[in-house]
Amino acid sequence: MFEKSTSESVRSEQTTPERTAPARTAVSIRHLSKSFDGVEVLRDVDLEVREGDVVTILGSSGSGKSTLLRCINWLERPDSGSIHIGGQRIGVNDAGRPMPVRELARVRARTGMVFQSFNLWPHLNVLHNVTEAPIHVLGKSKAEAETHARELLEKVGMSAKADAYPSTLSGGQKQRVAIARALAMQPEVMLFDEPTSALDPELVGEVLAVIRDLSAEGYTMIVVTHEMAFSRAVSDKVVFLDKGLIIEQADPETFFTNPSTERVRKFLEREES
Amino acid sequence: MNASAWHMLLEGAWTTVWISGISIAMGVTAGLILALIRLARIPVVDQLLVLYISLARATPLVTLALFIFLSAPTFGINLDRNVAGILALTLNTTAFNAEIWRSAFRNFSRDQREAAMAAGMTPWVTFRRIMLPQMMITSLPGLINEMSFLIKGSPAIAVIGIVDLTRVTNRISAVTYDPLPPILVACALYMAAIGCLVWLQRIAERRANRLAV
Repeated sequence: MFEKSTSESVRSEQTTPERTAPARTAVSIRHLSKSFDGVEVLRDVDLEVREGDVVTILGSSGSGKSTLLRCINWLERPDSGSIHIGGQRIGVNDAGRPMPVRELARVRARTGMVFQSFNLWPHLNVLHNVTEAPIHVLGKSKAEAETHARELLEKVGMSAKADAYPSTLSGGQKQRVAIARALAMQPEVMLFDEPTSALDPELVGEVLAVIRDLSAEGYTMIVVTHEMAFSRAVSDKVVFLDKGLIIEQADPETFFTNPSTERVRKFLEREES
Repeated sequence: MNASAWHMLLEGAWTTVWISGISIAMGVTAGLILALIRLARIPVVDQLLVLYISLARATPLVTLALFIFLSAPTFGINLDRNVAGILALTLNTTAFNAEIWRSAFRNFSRDQREAAMAAGMTPWVTFRRIMLPQMMITSLPGLINEMSFLIKGSPAIAVIGIVDLTRVTNRISAVTYDPLPPILVACALYMAAIGCLVWLQRIAERRANRLAV
């Protein structure tokens, strides 16, 4: 990939030949702020995600965690601050102006997103939901896209439903297709926006299992979630947002057993009960 | 009715079908384009379109056809009566279709659009691949309704001398002094045309069921 070293975010360039070098930065967020109608949703957020890392974002509802995730692929426009994906700034071009839509779409394609309510395209069957963007955004051939799509559907355990339409699937199945759809773009980072919050309790497990498999395969992922046990099991880093501020950032062991703030301690106590 | 009466009737039916068909095709497309332009909210252009839509929706077809056909020469245009008829039908139906398309746009799922954006689709690809195929199905009941209004309103173009399916029954009975048979046949032919549209609509509705998430 072409890399523009326009900012401080590119810590270690790919020019370092040995793989022993520290992992490169996948996503770098600096001084991010955002308000809706005068209410500050994000306040001066800094976050660094290294390649291959799984970062889970926790916090009570309204803490700004979904907004933070949606800023990363510019579904929400932050008021100030910067976001770099694989070293390239999103939303703002080199001249400091808003990015033209085509360029923005290209940077967005470096991320994949999984939504709380799946957001599958109902007029396309499962296979075509997965091949649509690779064909019409990446310009892949139909055959190539379908081969790749079938591999991904296999991976999420949905290959038997390749010809089914979304309306015939359960929530858990829809979300697994949505994960395959996002993976099909071969993104550098996967963004999960409360992927299990809309699911019946007995369907949560199948989706979390897929995400856990992906983390084992080394995908870079940022996951907004309410699932504590999951967060503890898969994360390399846990981030806690409170009223738009990151008040705690730690490895899962420290975060869950020895949090440094009273706020997080209270949050964890309430979650356990 | 004799053979020549049947011949005249079928010719009248053909006139109604091709003039309506062209007007429907142009009206559906132009309506979509107008809806797209209105989404862009371009100042002045937007107000002009609103003015056009409210005028066209408020003008009777007969009046519109007469106005176009009779006013063209004052602008130095020598308008063929068929062209004037198509123009009148199209101007009328476009206004209604534009509103149908616009509401399909307004009601389109934001979630699906976001999924398209997140997958790196440009607005144009999103429109072409995600929105339009679904909007066509959800708008079809409204569009087909409007198409059947157009066909049923098409006898208005007889006012500028086009011999359509309704007008031709008059001509036949002027010779045979028996107005009922040609009118009955004309009714049956109109019903057949509308029946085809209703059948299309049923197919669309069956497909639309799949879109219910």
